[in-house]
Amino acid sequence: MKNKTLKLILAALPLLLFSADSWGQAAGEAGGNPYFYDSLFSYGMLFLVAAVFIAALAALYNLLNIMVKVQQIRIYQEQGIEAYVEETRKPEQSFFERLYKRMTNVVPVEKEEDILFDHEYDGIRELDNVLPPWWVAMFYITIAFGVVYYTYYHFTGAGPSSTEEYEMEMERAEKAVQAYLSTQANQVDETNVELLADEQALAAGKSIYEGKGTCFTCHGMYGEGGIGPNMTDPYWIHGGGIKDLFKTIKYGVPEKGMIAWKDQLKPAEMQQVASYILSLQGTNPPNPKEPQGELYQQVDNAAPADTSSTEVKQEGEAIGMQ
Amino acid sequence: MAQVEKFSYDNAIVRKFAYASIIFGMVGILVGLIAALQLVFPALNLGIPETTFGRIRPLHTNAAIFAFVGNGIFMGVYYSLQRLLKARMFSKALSEFHFWGWQAIILAAAITLPLGITSAKEYAELEWPIDLAIALVWVAFGINMFGTILKRREQHLYVAIWFYIATWVTVTVLHIGNNLELPVSLWKSYPVFAGVQDALIQWWYGHNAVAFFLTTPYLGLMYYFLPKAANRPVYSYKLSIIHFWALIFIYIWAGPHHLLYTSLPDWAQSLGTVFSVMLIAPSWGGMLNGLLTLRGAWDRVRQDPVLKFMVVAVTAYGMATFEGPMLSIKSVNAISHYTDWTIGHVHIGTLGWNGFLTFGILYWMLPRLFNTKLYSQKLANAHFWIGTLGILFYAIPLYWAGWTQSLMWKQFTPDGFLQYGNFLETVTQIIPMYGLRALGGTLYVAGYFVMLYNLVKTVQSGAFIGDEAAEAPPASTWAVHAGKEHWHRWIERRPVQMLIASTIAILIGGIVEIFPMAMIDDQVPRIESVTPYTPLELEGRDIYIREGCLGCHSQMVRPFRSETERYGEYSKSGEFIYDRPFLWGSKRTGPDLHRVGGKYPDSWHYNHMMDPETTSPGSIMPPYPWLLRDELSTKNTAAKIRTLQKLGTPYPDGYDQIAVDDLQKQAKMVAESLRKDGIDAEKLEEKEIIALIAYLQKLGTGIKPAPQAGN
Repeated sequence: MKNKTLKLILAALPLLLFSADSWGQAAGEAGGNPYFYDSLFSYGMLFLVAAVFIAALAALYNLLNIMVKVQQIRIYQEQGIEAYVEETRKPEQSFFERLYKRMTNVVPVEKEEDILFDHEYDGIRELDNVLPPWWVAMFYITIAFGVVYYTYYHFTGAGPSSTEEYEMEMERAEKAVQAYLSTQANQVDETNVELLADEQALAAGKSIYEGKGTCFTCHGMYGEGGIGPNMTDPYWIHGGGIKDLFKTIKYGVPEKGMIAWKDQLKPAEMQQVASYILSLQGTNPPNPKEPQGELYQQVDNAAPADTSSTEVKQEGEAIGMQ
Repeated sequence: MAQVEKFSYDNAIVRKFAYASIIFGMVGILVGLIAALQLVFPALNLGIPETTFGRIRPLHTNAAIFAFVGNGIFMGVYYSLQRLLKARMFSKALSEFHFWGWQAIILAAAITLPLGITSAKEYAELEWPIDLAIALVWVAFGINMFGTILKRREQHLYVAIWFYIATWVTVTVLHIGNNLELPVSLWKSYPVFAGVQDALIQWWYGHNAVAFFLTTPYLGLMYYFLPKAANRPVYSYKLSIIHFWALIFIYIWAGPHHLLYTSLPDWAQSLGTVFSVMLIAPSWGGMLNGLLTLRGAWDRVRQDPVLKFMVVAVTAYGMATFEGPMLSIKSVNAISHYTDWTIGHVHIGTLGWNGFLTFGILYWMLPRLFNTKLYSQKLANAHFWIGTLGILFYAIPLYWAGWTQSLMWKQFTPDGFLQYGNFLETVTQIIPMYGLRALGGTLYVAGYFVMLYNLVKTVQSGAFIGDEAAEAPPASTWAVHAGKEHWHRWIERRPVQMLIASTIAILIGGIVEIFPMAMIDDQVPRIESVTPYTPLELEGRDIYIREGCLGCHSQMVRPFRSETERYGEYSKSGEFIYDRPFLWGSKRTGPDLHRVGGKYPDSWHYNHMMDPETTSPGSIMPPYPWLLRDELSTKNTAAKIRTLQKLGTPYPDGYDQIAVDDLQKQAKMVAESLRKDGIDAEKLEEKEIIALIAYLQKLGTGIKPAPQAGN
């Protein structure tokens, strides 16, 4: 019965192929989108062929089983039913026991005399155990991995290169950040930043100045200056308003060693630290650096709350002035 | 047995190498401990250049690898080779030359490395005269070994000797390949290859130094000493054959896994990945053959310290050789590379596999050399437990530190900022782990001293057998093999064919990877704006090399968002074409420096070198006051330019004549910029720091406009 099925399937196979070809042609002539039908039919055919192939394998397996059974029956006929009884008396081993035995396939220590080689090196003997089957399987799997991996990334061009991976990562991140920012309130930037005066904000600014901003390393612990200019006097190279400071911190003045902080400090943090720096005006710390830049005039330094509207002017374009 | 020849084994040379291994092992791990402690307490360099981390790290690695393990290899080979071949060593003179030559090389390393004389290539730091000496001594060892093999009384070569042969030929090839360099002076040279090519060759070497110096010879030793100590037959002869050939063939390909996500072309990186993964089974073949040989002897493992050491050694080998392939998978490597995970990984191998196997061999062999018993089994057991605990305390904190730091490096806030934008935050976080690691190292050292005492007592209690009598039938009694036998027996009778076959096996991978990289120009796309180093920058670069800055700072920004945000544009292979040697580094204890050029003002670097804590509070970088104090030597500047010209750096003809003038001009500009920021010192423009600043400001500016000097 099974044989019949197999024959039927095998006979149907070329037939199917032929018919698929004519279907494909018909679809192409019928107009519309030929690519769509092409791919639809080729995928459909692929599945069909795969299904037929699997069915054929199953049929073959059945056939093999029947042949083994027939052989068994022949053996029992020759050796009597005792052999069959003997066979069934053996305790059944669990799947894992059998798997373990098959995967290790080792000669027990008591029987190792049988597989001892006759050669000997300074008393060292060697056994003729076979390669552990699990080890062999692992070796084959890693080799297969290697072939598939290399083919995927380098022969088919399907896998992304390192730089493509990078571009994809950046794109994903960009989208995620944009999505997050769209849920947030208005962002502070150099066009709308305002001077903060509350103690909490200034304390936060101070801790940035002395901490992760590391401002003090160049501008002094008290803003007295050092590698960088003094920030307690009213002279500024790139403007002394809150918007100027914010801009200078954000984009830096790379050619003079002031790095851009936009990737390390958040806008709110830059606002806080800029506000803190402006709160140092006129504090006269010890060891001040000589004034640099131009005198920056503000209408009222003591009333910071509405500085944004009272800034008179900015001395020149802050960045790239010199 | 009608014919039996009487002869003797030379134990004196074995004893010499054993003593050398014990002494240098102590030195190696003590220097390692000091280096580990310096990461917690930077002041422990005592303000001396010669004892600063960047210089003693290579001292530690070289002492551990070439002095401790190296002498350990020779000890084990000289002991086992004679016995496996039933022959005395070929030449007493060569043995002596080998021993004293190797110790002289170690002495030279111990002097030159702290002096900052280094070629900057990891595990190949020694300069060219010492490289030549190594080649000479190694060849002497080879002749001595092959001489012994050729006059052997045992017809077939045992698996241990296959490993010795493969080791010898591969180390020869690697050593020559990675040290192709052109001397500038007696203690300075530049490598023939530059940048990404140099990097590939270095890690072809570096990886296989691990493979063929720390692994294959020790597998050979395992195949002799483990069955001897356990008194059990080797588990599977077939496994020996397959894993030996597979191991030596595949190992050589895996080097590029040290360069994943670098500027090395992807095709080469992927070869590193896939061959590393394929290495699991061949490596584990060795572990299995070791552990399964102990079948039926596990009851003895519980009592015998020798077997205990060997079991842990083989297990550590299995762990490290599984972890290695995992670390070679790119997505894992993206986490592990540049962190302490790698350091933890290699120490499982060195402390566990090499250290413990050496200890096991010493406890087993020394009593036999002195015809006595081990002084104290109890002390040996104590050593075992202290050492094992030491390894755990060493490795676990470093794994933890590696994961922690890597996660911190990669952590972004939802609004797109690096959570830990200041690199230092990620360092201070893991300093407690460094402390625990140093504790682990201390335990390991303590165990070592326990062994030292035990072995000294053992030696004192016995009488040394310098020439151990032996007898065996001569070669003339060998049978003629024609009938049925395992196919591999054929080559086991033919050492020359064995040598040739191993050579072919180990050459293929290297040729396939290196040849296209070195010979085909478009593997490294040129970048027009990348220019050679000016003489001042060149001298600064050589100071960077001398101080071992690359021990803690990489110069390779990988194409990750977390790295380009932190450091800037990722590194391109075309940027390194004038880098001789390449200085990509392998560990970031400090931040990457490839894009540091132009990031800070000159004065920042000046202050940072004077005392890193002034610019980076909490930094564990040691101060470098001598750079501010010492005057730059321009004695070799012209010769350096000429050497680089010969190697292909496009300096104009006759540039060496005006190089020093150019150097002084640029130095004046740097000094001026420092003075503008209020930094002054007598003869400021002549100090070494000026050159280093010039170099640092040049870094990574090949693809962006350099800052106006002196502005």
